[in-house]
Amino acid sequence: MKKLSEHFSWRTYILFIAALIAAMLLCICVGSVNIPLGDTVTALWNSLWGMEIPTGISKSIILNVRLPRVLNVALVGAALSLCGAAMQGLLRNPLADGSTLGVSSGASLGAVLSLALGITIPGTAYGGTMVMAMLFAFLSLAAILGLAYTLDRSLTTNSIILIGVIFSMFASSAINLVISFAEDHIKSITFWTMGSLSGTNFSHTRILAISVLLCGGVILRYARELNAFAIGEDNARHIGVNVKGVKLIILITVSVLIGVCVSISGTISFVGLVMPHMARMITGPNHKRLLPASMFSGAIFLLLADLTARTILRPIELSIGVVTSLVGAVAFVTIFYRTRKAR
Amino acid sequence: MSKKLVSLFLALLMMCCTAAVMAESNAITVTDMFGREVTIEGPVTRIIALDPGDCEMLYAIGCEDALVGRGKYCDYPAAVLELPAVQSGADTNLEEILALNPQVVVMSGMHHTIEHVELLEQNGIRVIGTDANSIEGVYQNIRLLGTIMGKDENAEAVIAEMQKTFADVAAKSEQTDKTIYFEVMPLEWGLWSAGNSTFMHELAQICGMKNAFADIEGWKAVSQEQVIERNPDYIVLVTGMGETAVDEVMGRPGWESITAIKNGAVYNADSYTMTRPAPRLAEAAENLYNFLNGITK
Repeated sequence: MKKLSEHFSWRTYILFIAALIAAMLLCICVGSVNIPLGDTVTALWNSLWGMEIPTGISKSIILNVRLPRVLNVALVGAALSLCGAAMQGLLRNPLADGSTLGVSSGASLGAVLSLALGITIPGTAYGGTMVMAMLFAFLSLAAILGLAYTLDRSLTTNSIILIGVIFSMFASSAINLVISFAEDHIKSITFWTMGSLSGTNFSHTRILAISVLLCGGVILRYARELNAFAIGEDNARHIGVNVKGVKLIILITVSVLIGVCVSISGTISFVGLVMPHMARMITGPNHKRLLPASMFSGAIFLLLADLTARTILRPIELSIGVVTSLVGAVAFVTIFYRTRKAR
Repeated sequence: MSKKLVSLFLALLMMCCTAAVMAESNAITVTDMFGREVTIEGPVTRIIALDPGDCEMLYAIGCEDALVGRGKYCDYPAAVLELPAVQSGADTNLEEILALNPQVVVMSGMHHTIEHVELLEQNGIRVIGTDANSIEGVYQNIRLLGTIMGKDENAEAVIAEMQKTFADVAAKSEQTDKTIYFEVMPLEWGLWSAGNSTFMHELAQICGMKNAFADIEGWKAVSQEQVIERNPDYIVLVTGMGETAVDEVMGRPGWESITAIKNGAVYNADSYTMTRPAPRLAEAAENLYNFLNGITK
């Protein structure tokens, strides 16, 4: 019998990385403004080696507008997809995701509150918003899971999603309530809720990269435990997993990642829900393969969605959420239909 | 979407209808800018304006004494703040309006729907709909209000004053191919600009310039790349973001190649005068002219 390795081989990783780089290059080369391919490559190549960039090349568009945006989109896509995969495994729930569980709405509520109350961290431009988003993401997750536990110890699919959806509604009403009270800040809040990745720059890239590296590293280290959870919590306990501890760590990590993403890009739905399912169709359920595959596929999916959003109606720009929701919903139904039929 | 359709429809109607007046005893019949025929038992002594633009027009034609209430965003001239405020737009509150016992409520099609109109009409309040999306529309709007308030002469005088200012600015402005990029929403929240069919587009033309986004219709989200590519000669901020707005724009990464940034030609305009359908558009034209020609007051 051929023994299947639990991990991906280095060849597979090279394949993933090549696909990601190809997608990123495509997204840097194509945009709202047409720039000759040669110019783009020259600008990238020369800046990579610190060489002078010939004049006449739209260097500012390529290096200061597209490059940071492409990097941010890839990082957000990877983070959201990883969070979705981790929660789906941890809760043994194929519908778990930041947006269905109400974590994203909770994070938005935190961000809006920070704007309304003027909570800032001195020396940072958006530290207050980010920390509040993380905090509220975690509190929402704790509240939702706590409530779901008291109703139904087994945390079945239906009850937890139901509570998540209701919590999302609650959080959006709370946001509207905050807006009604915070008349002085109404403008910045309304604008924030419309926020997008279009105005992000390298300072956001730094924060996103650090968060993805740290939180991603933590979640990937718990791949083995997630595999145990996928079979059942009791099973995990029996093979020596510190169930409570691991659960808490993963939930905190997921909240931090979602909080960072929401505070930078706003809520982008369907990435965390659909991409892990797509990845699972290729890799199977083992989290040692599933988690990295989800990250790569999430990044590539969001890159292509963003590319569509910024080019399809040029010079006008669509909101990225429109594209992910349209594509994501169709993909989700297709995947669900196929997996249910296969059973 | 439906708002868009409604305003398109209204724009068409505007072309067909002129405020037809039939004076019978004290009753005045006008066709408002929603295309409705409205008969008002004059003289109007109690009126509420829900939108800031209409409120400014009523003041300009000397009807401040007849105003008994204002929409909560009406803030000019400052004296209007002393009037009781009512909710407007989607939150329009019938009870608040009824409590002030007006004969007429003026509301714009920008934030209100036909349901709001019907609700008020059913309660015996006459509604005048306004919908000015161009300077010509503002004239029509002022004329309409002048007619129902019996202040036709004042209305014509206000219009003549506006026309004179615009003509003066146009006469002293040189016709150039230079472009202005108007920013109505800052980069941090997703970039929006004003295209064709906006007051800003018309103001740019009056000042002899071109709107950098003349190819889009109304207010739209645009790509940052497009702004850099179109390389505007002037940047006018209509974002109402306060004193630091210009510094924020000057410091945007990737924007350093734009002519306007190189020359420091970024102007933090008063967003209300530039965007409201009101007589102050004339002031906005003068301010824009002064900025474009380096005149500081």
